[in-house]
Amino acid sequence: MLPLFRFVTSSLRSMLRGGRSYYIWIAFLLAWIALGGAAYLHQLRVGFVATNLVDHVPWGAYIANFTYLVGMAAGAVMLVIPAYVYHDHALHDVVVLGELLAVAVLTMCLMFVMVDIGRPDRIWHFIRFNWPVSMLTWDVIVLNGYLALNAYITGYILFTKFCGRTPERKKYVPFVFLAIGWAVSIHTVTAFLYSGMGARPHWNAAILAPRFLASAFAAGPSLMIIALTIVRDKMGFPLKDEALNRLRQIVAVTMLINLFFFFSEIFTELYSFKHHAASMRYLLFGLHGHTTLVPYIWSAVALDVFAAIVFTTKALYRRPAVLHAGCAAAIVGVWVEKGMGLVIPGFVPSPLGEVVDYIPSFTEFCVSAGIWATGALIYTLLLKAAVPIELGTSRLEPEAAS
Amino acid sequence: MRRVMVIDARRCVGCEACVVACKTENHVPDGAYRDWVVQETRGEYPSLELTIQSQRCNHCSNAPCVANCPTGASHYRGDGTVQVDRDKCTGCRACIASCPYGARYVAPEGHVEKCTLCVHRLDRGKPTACEEVCPTSAIATGDRGDRGSVVALRLRRGTASVVTPEAGTEPNVSYVR
Repeated sequence: MLPLFRFVTSSLRSMLRGGRSYYIWIAFLLAWIALGGAAYLHQLRVGFVATNLVDHVPWGAYIANFTYLVGMAAGAVMLVIPAYVYHDHALHDVVVLGELLAVAVLTMCLMFVMVDIGRPDRIWHFIRFNWPVSMLTWDVIVLNGYLALNAYITGYILFTKFCGRTPERKKYVPFVFLAIGWAVSIHTVTAFLYSGMGARPHWNAAILAPRFLASAFAAGPSLMIIALTIVRDKMGFPLKDEALNRLRQIVAVTMLINLFFFFSEIFTELYSFKHHAASMRYLLFGLHGHTTLVPYIWSAVALDVFAAIVFTTKALYRRPAVLHAGCAAAIVGVWVEKGMGLVIPGFVPSPLGEVVDYIPSFTEFCVSAGIWATGALIYTLLLKAAVPIELGTSRLEPEAAS
Repeated sequence: MRRVMVIDARRCVGCEACVVACKTENHVPDGAYRDWVVQETRGEYPSLELTIQSQRCNHCSNAPCVANCPTGASHYRGDGTVQVDRDKCTGCRACIASCPYGARYVAPEGHVEKCTLCVHRLDRGKPTACEEVCPTSAIATGDRGDRGSVVALRLRRGTASVVTPEAGTEPNVSYVR
């Protein structure tokens, strides 16, 4: 038990160590977490009346963020596939950092589910599985399974390296391959949760799961490019340019596929102009004078197109500032397009034909921001603990090992 | 036993007494309804046709809410009705998203509610609250298998239709004309 205890204490020490900018960053995140916590307490006290959710639009900002983040967690697999399936050595070095992102993001996913169901004790009701028919039950199983898999893989690799040993391939590589399939499954299940609902024509489309995966594999690696650049510049991680370039190539392809899928969906819905296209019309052009989502979705399309241009044009992606702007555009563009841009129009118009606009309340905004800050804090702390172990500066002392 | 509701749409006058009776009987909270009246005018003046329907949960035999519920809180009761067990409900609202009829709402306590077909009354041999107050006897509830019942008689007329049949939910609330 002693090495494990040392692993934990040494990791905690690494988390507490840092320069001035590190502490400012942590304080910034803690401030948002405090604001989010206060907003959540307010929501618990007064109930869902603190949100702008209504029976016509029962899912809003929380589920939109949840859906997007499941994709972000699945996106981490985009580092794992080249590293383990195609033996890409540059990405092999950073696989653990990608899987730690999956751990942080999945924690956020579960937090978004918790705030969305109101009373936190109801989370225990999920133990009564309605398996195999309910897609939500599948979601609970695959998300927790993926969290456990990534926590095990990263925990095992980091712990053995901390002990000065080389991780034994047979103890983690099978789980890595399992996690690759699992990553695809988490986002497919989330897409099926939507596309299985016959009552909502906007989601009842076969393209939804492929589109979910394409956009996830664009937004996830984009975030990894920014995160890895920070880890290289601020923590001295010897990141090869090749690794960033490989991720850039991945986003270039996946973003183009994502835009193609989105265009296919728009064409199918709008060309024949059947009445099921009402949701898509509401999203893109507004319906009966209700145009709440129109500026958001067109901004998202513009951001996606901008990202696609940056990631495919050498003169642009060679300049780090432009590349990072492209990453930010991909992250935000997909967030709007797959979050609010997907969830809200599914409920408009309602089964009785009503058009009810929804924008998140101030409480929902604060709670969501608090959860994002919590995720960022978890990822920051995990990186602070993992990078010194990967670099070899944090090791078990020989006397403790013996 | 297979409980069904058969509404004679020719008799319905759209008085909304069923809506008020349900709210009172079931203590339905402010802003929520378990049944409602839809009036639809078709055609062009002067050849107009007015349809009035008292609608509610259709207690579907192939209910998407039951399939989508992650905990089995939404379930089929032995008599063919669809019920919600509030102690199992997570409040995730997947059932609301999956219902093609907009029949469900979130109660102030956080669980989801909808029309129960007043099974607490039917079990005691009383009619549903909406059926009891209907001034034209447009609403009838009963056992489909009982050949002498009003519902069986109305269904035998052979003109029964359901709301949104393309959803494939096999509703147990029918409308005859």
